[in-house]
Amino acid sequence: MRTLSTIAVGFDGSPNAKAAVRWAFNLAAPIDAKVVVVHALGMLGRFEGHDAATEIEESVRQLSDDCGLDAARVHFHVANGDACSVLIRMADDPISADLLVVGSRGQGKHPGLLLGSTSLELAEHATIPLVIVPSL
Amino acid sequence: MLIMNGRYEDAGHEESGHPERPDRITAAMAGVDDLHLGDDLKVVPAYAATRAELARVHEGTYLDELGAFCYAGGGDLDEDTYATYDSWTIAQYAAGGGLAVINELKRLGDGVGFVATRPPGHHALRDRAMGFCLLNNISIAAASLIEQGERVLIVDWDVHHGNGTQAIFWDKPDVMYVSTHQSPLFPGSGAAFEIGGMSALGKTINIPLPPGATGDVVRRAIDEVATPSIVEFDPTWVLVSAGFDSHRDDPMADLSLTGGDFAALARTVAGFAPGPGRIAMFLEGGYDLAALRHSVASTLGAVLASAYEAESPSSGGPGTEMVQNAQAERLVALRIAQEAASKGDYST
Ligand SMILES: [Zn+2]
Repeated sequence: MRTLSTIAVGFDGSPNAKAAVRWAFNLAAPIDAKVVVVHALGMLGRFEGHDAATEIEESVRQLSDDCGLDAARVHFHVANGDACSVLIRMADDPISADLLVVGSRGQGKHPGLLLGSTSLELAEHATIPLVIVPSL
Repeated sequence: MLIMNGRYEDAGHEESGHPERPDRITAAMAGVDDLHLGDDLKVVPAYAATRAELARVHEGTYLDELGAFCYAGGGDLDEDTYATYDSWTIAQYAAGGGLAVINELKRLGDGVGFVATRPPGHHALRDRAMGFCLLNNISIAAASLIEQGERVLIVDWDVHHGNGTQAIFWDKPDVMYVSTHQSPLFPGSGAAFEIGGMSALGKTINIPLPPGATGDVVRRAIDEVATPSIVEFDPTWVLVSAGFDSHRDDPMADLSLTGGDFAALARTVAGFAPGPGRIAMFLEGGYDLAALRHSVASTLGAVLASAYEAESPSSGGPGTEMVQNAQAERLVALRIAQEAASKGDYST
């Protein structure tokens, strides 16, 4: 088994995504792994003009402090695309993640349907291990 | 003569505040009206594409899921893409509108096709909706043509890369996919080194452009990077993913094209068709209604030789170097892939 040196975690600012980020930070802290917090910039995100990078950094910094994770081991990556494709690409250069972590968003409205659920889509297409963190 | 689909009831596919909205079709149709075509306009009714027609492109499980998702009340399919209760029916008509126009062009052996349907299609994958797209309308039309033995050129001048169309025909030698698009931008694909699968090497041509690129750069990109391969491919049909979000007034991105640029591009692309009745333009993006209306009129006016006056073509923007780099990157990728193929290594 590969050592866990880079963990990519999807982040869209939602409470579920925060739970996933917290889980990834708690995993990384004792094993000296690096965490890449990934935000997918879709068509609407750009259209609505969010300053995604700043928003992510602000909310994630607080979480890393809470988990006692050295800020130097937290990286940010904003990429154009839909969340599923962007997260799948994290397995490749230059990020080369060993593990994907996402929140269990999107299953509330249509339980059992694959569509509309990034986590279930990822489960079908991911090429590296995937952790889906339920929000409590 | 212009062959166009009739409008069907697409108002049910709408989400408050979303830029992919019914007014877009109203604007596109107003652009056609501005050409005053009279008897030179023939409208054919759209129909709901059949399961077999959709299944040439999309996985059956995806079609089932999409239908079920809509009938369960719809919702957000991803951060960009919505569906409503009515979207499944409307998406089938959007795909069927393209097939109806193609069928009529074939029957007449004449004319230029315009498919003004929504939701748009070029981001939709075999098994997934994305980027406002549910079913890949242009791919469904192309798949029907290749089943009839045609060789299909798809030119995509939407500001976004048509990742869905590229993926669907990635390894299909009967389709050549040529895309100019802004980069970096959603969906993040469309690098010059993406050249097609081992059975279709060189039949995907991507020309990324920087923000601010003007029409002269886009025209040069087509002339210098794509045209030699297109001539060699010798298409029997030409389909265009005519997205007008590459217009300078569009809020979705930052290319600087004008109506005059679309007119020039349309003339060039029409020149790739082997004869009349073998070209159809499919509406993709375009979110500024005035720019959309003018761009539709400019594009169609150019290929129909109408007297419609388009905005002046644009020039002087950045991108010449990026196009040259794209050409170089593409040639390197082709050489590496061809060497791998000659050694029987299909892993790339
Ligand atoms: Zn577009």
